[in-house]
Amino acid sequence: MQTLSVKKDPAFNKRLPGDLAMWFFILAELTVFAIFFIGFAVTERLNPQMFSEGKASLHQLAGLVNTLALITSSLMVALALLSIKASKANLATSYLFLAFLFSIIYLGVKSWEYVNLFDRGFDIETNTFFTLYFLITFFHFMHILLGIIILGFMAKKSLAGGYQTTSNISGFEAGASYWHMVDLVWIILFPLLYVI
Amino acid sequence: MTKYTKKSLFSYTVLLLLTFVSVVLNQVVSHRSIFVILVLFIVFLKGQQITDIFMELKHAKRMWRIILLSYVLLLPTIIAGIYLV
Repeated sequence: MQTLSVKKDPAFNKRLPGDLAMWFFILAELTVFAIFFIGFAVTERLNPQMFSEGKASLHQLAGLVNTLALITSSLMVALALLSIKASKANLATSYLFLAFLFSIIYLGVKSWEYVNLFDRGFDIETNTFFTLYFLITFFHFMHILLGIIILGFMAKKSLAGGYQTTSNISGFEAGASYWHMVDLVWIILFPLLYVI
Repeated sequence: MTKYTKKSLFSYTVLLLLTFVSVVLNQVVSHRSIFVILVLFIVFLKGQQITDIFMELKHAKRMWRIILLSYVLLLPTIIAGIYLV
């Protein structure tokens, strides 16, 4: 069995992490989100008053907490991948569990935001701002849910010793790359909704 | 602690700091155009950290790194153009 070593195998670092199919999937997802973001910005440009009032209705602290939760979960996944490469499967599983916990924080805060907005009378039909807000953030929310399922599979396989060689680590890398993509999307979404 | 772990932790710290800076900018910068440009430039810096360090594309095949970095550069630039032009 070929044990993984980050330092001893420079060729390993020159390759694309994960599966090629996953990277095409990531590009497709990023393109969809890019269309959403550009559409949001154009619509804001056309309706500045409506978007200004809509953004003022959002809870900036909740957005900030969610940003910190996703960045931290991304770090945990990155550390889990490094642990797998160092043949420390149990440590990798622990990091994945922490990533799961931080993603639950995200889901909890986002759900609280939705309920809070509904209680105050805002919903997807209120105006164009809230239509786009709910559409984009819920689309991202669904990606987080899928990411959590992927993290779960990775943790299960890791515990079962399924990531022991360079030939079968690509599944772990693909899952990790997907999770970072979800984080990357939020990095753009957060300032668009809560800061600018 | 390995070199790669240190890099990841450093990148994480940068991401946290840039997040707080982007939030505080609203109170510090009064000029709308400069504020928008700075916030979107921070988006690029954060995106670069995620693609290069977390996604491990810095030392991967060049084409994929260029594609992802182009995304985190071009998208904020287009958004800035929409807001400012």
